[in-house]
Amino acid sequence: METISLSKRYGKTDALRGLNFTVDEGEIMVILGPNGSGKTTLLMILCTILKPTSGTAKVMGIDVVEEGTKVREVMGIAFQEARGFWRHKPSSILRFHASMFDIDPAKRQELIEGTMKDLELWESRDKKFMHLSGGQAKRLETAKVLVQRPKLAIFDEPTSQVDLRGKRKIWDKIRELRDHGSTVIVATNEVREAEYLADRVTILHQGQLVVRDSIPKLKDAIAGGDVVEVGFEDPVADKLVEELKTLGGALSLSPDGNELRAKVSRAEDWVPKMTSASYNLGAKISSIKITEPSLDDVFLHFTGKALVDQL
Amino acid sequence: MNRVLNLAAFNIRVLLSDPTWFFLSWALFALQLAVYGSLMSKLVGSNLPNYFFFYSIGLMIIVVFESAEDVGRHFVENAHEGELPYFLTLPISRSGFLVSQAMYGVANTLLKVAPPLLAVLFVSGNLTVPGALFALLALFLLGLGITGIMVSLSFIAFKAVDIYLAVLAGLSALLVRFSTVFYPLAVMPNYYSPISVLSPLTYGADLTRWFLGFDPKYLLNPVLAAVVVTAIAVSTLSLSARIVDKIIEGVKVA
Repeated sequence: METISLSKRYGKTDALRGLNFTVDEGEIMVILGPNGSGKTTLLMILCTILKPTSGTAKVMGIDVVEEGTKVREVMGIAFQEARGFWRHKPSSILRFHASMFDIDPAKRQELIEGTMKDLELWESRDKKFMHLSGGQAKRLETAKVLVQRPKLAIFDEPTSQVDLRGKRKIWDKIRELRDHGSTVIVATNEVREAEYLADRVTILHQGQLVVRDSIPKLKDAIAGGDVVEVGFEDPVADKLVEELKTLGGALSLSPDGNELRAKVSRAEDWVPKMTSASYNLGAKISSIKITEPSLDDVFLHFTGKALVDQL
Repeated sequence: MNRVLNLAAFNIRVLLSDPTWFFLSWALFALQLAVYGSLMSKLVGSNLPNYFFFYSIGLMIIVVFESAEDVGRHFVENAHEGELPYFLTLPISRSGFLVSQAMYGVANTLLKVAPPLLAVLFVSGNLTVPGALFALLALFLLGLGITGIMVSLSFIAFKAVDIYLAVLAGLSALLVRFSTVFYPLAVMPNYYSPISVLSPLTYGADLTRWFLGFDPKYLLNPVLAAVVVTAIAVSTLSLSARIVDKIIEGVKVA
């Protein structure tokens, strides 16, 4: 999946501004960004509902504008707002969806039943869509893509309105979809969802790509992002602090009684060197606590704004 | 093509899931015919022979028009209730999608108009198989044309639903009043008949009446009527295909 200089303008508002974006085959790419960052517009262009104002977008090498029907053959999307048919039951909606994507009729019913059970929709199979709760409707939206098993699966905020238990189930099913060979794009503004799902994360802000990488690399990119709190049996000696300063890798060292707080770029590199230096100087360590930066911190680092404040 | 048929069948099943609307439509047709049809045919008297039959065909044209209007509204409702974006992600071409909508419209129109037509033909003693079939064909072509107009106008609803509904109401009033739905061109005043020639309903109504054996001296040339009705169906459906392709995909999703 690739976009080149993709732009979309609504009247005087630029929803996407020259976006260059790629997703590798078989990965879960999470697009993280606040509301209005252009996530949904990007997805709507990829699934051929909207046309870009300029630039190109290709899915599996197929141009979304020139060959929309072919793109729709290989793509499935779970919308941010559940799209159902008011007077239809969930199983009927899924049967129709499966039939439109040529799912083997012999396996269709079993697949639908299994997916509904996995997503705890089976008990609601006789309810009409209009009588489903927001969370149930949302799970049904996800179920459509799971039944379809497309080559490119797109989920737009898949767990908004879903309870915690349901979120975990949906996330596991999305990972399962990836494990079965689908390429997955998930747009979200939930940090926890991104951390759970992402092979790589793309941060969008004001219609532009800010950064794209795996979560560990994004976190490592924040200098001093890891915080290490070390507890000693005795008060921290000045000599130890001076020795630790010579190790490098620490942006700040703050001794306070028996504790030492260090901001480091890569805790996994710094901690072994710190324990060795402490041992050599006879300082006995009683505890070590490492705190990684969150994706909130990553977003703040790269955009200068807090993700949460944007919501 | 299977997918287009599948989608059309799905929409038609939705339509059939609530048959109350059909019974209401037929009941309204019968009531209108019984009260106004019989009253007006007495008022018209000998100026237009068999006016009751003329009026009943006009009433069917109105049913076709309203049914086609329904398709346009259905399209707009789909957009606002979020079903249109879903349909647009299904693996069929945009023209295939429109064909499925048109099939839904045809089913809606035929279900509403065929029973009253057959009943009127039977009661009036004009029922012949060729006559009924060709009349249905004329009504079907007219329905396609009006459907094309309504879907083409649906882009207005993407800006403002209120304006769309107002345009539909205005269009309905103009197209029905300035047409031969209730009065033939031959008896219209000179200042009124040239406007009526512009309404597609004029051609649909006169063609249907011609197939049912109404006196040709009160009707337009049937070849001209058939050509115009067909041309309107083809051109408005093509226009609506362009509207879906160029305009609806260019605006923000509801």
